[in-house]
Amino acid sequence: MTVKVGEELPELVKHPTTRQLVQYAGAQGDFYEIHYDQAYARSVALPGVILHGLLKAAFLGQLVTDWLGDRGELKSFEVSYRGIDVPGHPYRCRGKVVAVDGENVELEVWGEDPEGRRTTVGAASVTVRG
Amino acid sequence: MVDRLRARIGVDAPSTEATVEAGHLKRFAEAIGDPNPRWREQAPPTFLVALAPVSLHLEEAEEYGKGWLNGGNRFEYFEPVRAGDRITATGRVADVYEKSGSSGDLLFIIFETDYVNQHRKLVARLRGTAIRR
Repeated sequence: MTVKVGEELPELVKHPTTRQLVQYAGAQGDFYEIHYDQAYARSVALPGVILHGLLKAAFLGQLVTDWLGDRGELKSFEVSYRGIDVPGHPYRCRGKVVAVDGENVELEVWGEDPEGRRTTVGAASVTVRG
Repeated sequence: MVDRLRARIGVDAPSTEATVEAGHLKRFAEAIGDPNPRWREQAPPTFLVALAPVSLHLEEAEEYGKGWLNGGNRFEYFEPVRAGDRITATGRVADVYEKSGSSGDLLFIIFETDYVNQHRKLVARLRGTAIRR
């Protein structure tokens, strides 16, 4: 077992665009207008179109599966959306190991906007084979 | 209205069935920008949300506030999901409650979805927090 408490996951920086939001809306089948219609988004008091929460969850999922590789399995994964994010800005996905008990490893994960605000926070439980 | 919503707690909605198609996996992986070749055959962590609606359409909830926000999601995984799997998704309202926020009242609706494969094994469970504001 090489995983240690405090170990940081290699950072993953995503560059979401309006094109990606449309692509994601189609792939998920989520056609809520706040993700592609600027006028609609402003009409519900948003600054413009915003990232799907589940797209940010997918980014954090990638952070975890890139780090884990084929060393183990993802057992559970949760995210809370604390703030909105708009396309056109880099989104930094980060994480660290917070507990290790035999094969069971707990991770804290989060996504940061360019100002360093953690707009998505979450956790993952994985098993890592020794 | 909140009472009408609360009456739905724990009641299963009609199930939906869908096959995990390789083309859909590819489009989904491209959309999230994850080039991992593993996702050609296997579903990435959040893919199941693309297979069936993650929330029930609750018209009465739309009387509350002016828009939906996604508060959070929790996935539990029990079996891998692969291309060709036939998945039955069954959703329900798990909880409904109100909270006072700094910018007004909020209505929280917790949705839960169970995903069962063609071998009748529970492959994953998703909990989602939808917020009306």
